[in-house]
Amino acid sequence: MADVKSLSGVTQAIAASALKAQQARMRIIAENLANASSTSRTAGGDPYRRQIPVFQPTTVAGATGVSMARVEPDPTDFKSVYQPGNPGADPKGYVKEPNVDPLIEALDMKEAQRAYEANLNVIETARAMESRTLDLLRK
Amino acid sequence: MDLSQIPLFAMLRGRLGYLSQRQQVIAENVANADTPGFLPKDLRPFSFAAQVESLRAPEGVSGGPQMTHPNHMTLAVGGSAGRAKAKTQTVRDSETRLDGNAVVLEEEMMKMTDARMSYDAAIGFYQKSLGLLRMAARAPGK
Repeated sequence: MADVKSLSGVTQAIAASALKAQQARMRIIAENLANASSTSRTAGGDPYRRQIPVFQPTTVAGATGVSMARVEPDPTDFKSVYQPGNPGADPKGYVKEPNVDPLIEALDMKEAQRAYEANLNVIETARAMESRTLDLLRK
Repeated sequence: MDLSQIPLFAMLRGRLGYLSQRQQVIAENVANADTPGFLPKDLRPFSFAAQVESLRAPEGVSGGPQMTHPNHMTLAVGGSAGRAKAKTQTVRDSETRLDGNAVVLEEEMMKMTDARMSYDAAIGFYQKSLGLLRMAARAPGK
């Protein structure tokens, strides 16, 4: 991150780090949704496992920003569906389906969007405050 | 002429500094709205007494607000000068999520708007005071 001099610049750097983190979170959500029905290619194998982004506070320009620390696999169980014709089916004819719930992903996406908007708002306010200060020079 | 030598301007500057610092703390809270275990922080409320205290000139030096009458507001001794400290807020359990995060986005937005409005007010005041100085400096009849 570039050098930040003013206090309002620090504010904007914090919000920008959050925008980046939320953007990364959206990417993970997209991965989950895209693979909502990716079953195993080998017989009886495990399908796609849902990924969960984990955030952690990070120092940005001397203040506390945020970043995506890691992505963790969701340990919940897979659903089993009886599909004897599927190449991924086990000897009994059951196919394991990913533990992705589209509803949860949709809600998560909404939350990420809301957080993103909130951070944009912070940037906008910080910018407005700084330009108000600079307006003092005008007259 | 040094503007910061004029108590009114020095106080307004302190206020503006406080507000932009508060804005920064709010930005930290909003940024960490989804961080597990994060507790929101806020600055101690802006106190007039602390400001006056920080502006008061050392003993025996004139300048700065002084107590010249027993009915004047008492000054808190050891007022906080310079940067205010951000303190972790205590939050109700009902607003804490399962992952330990206690940031309420709506509340932070309210605080941010509040800080922005106060900032605009202080800037307006600063501008008006500058106008007064200019008016005093202008040649009469011009």
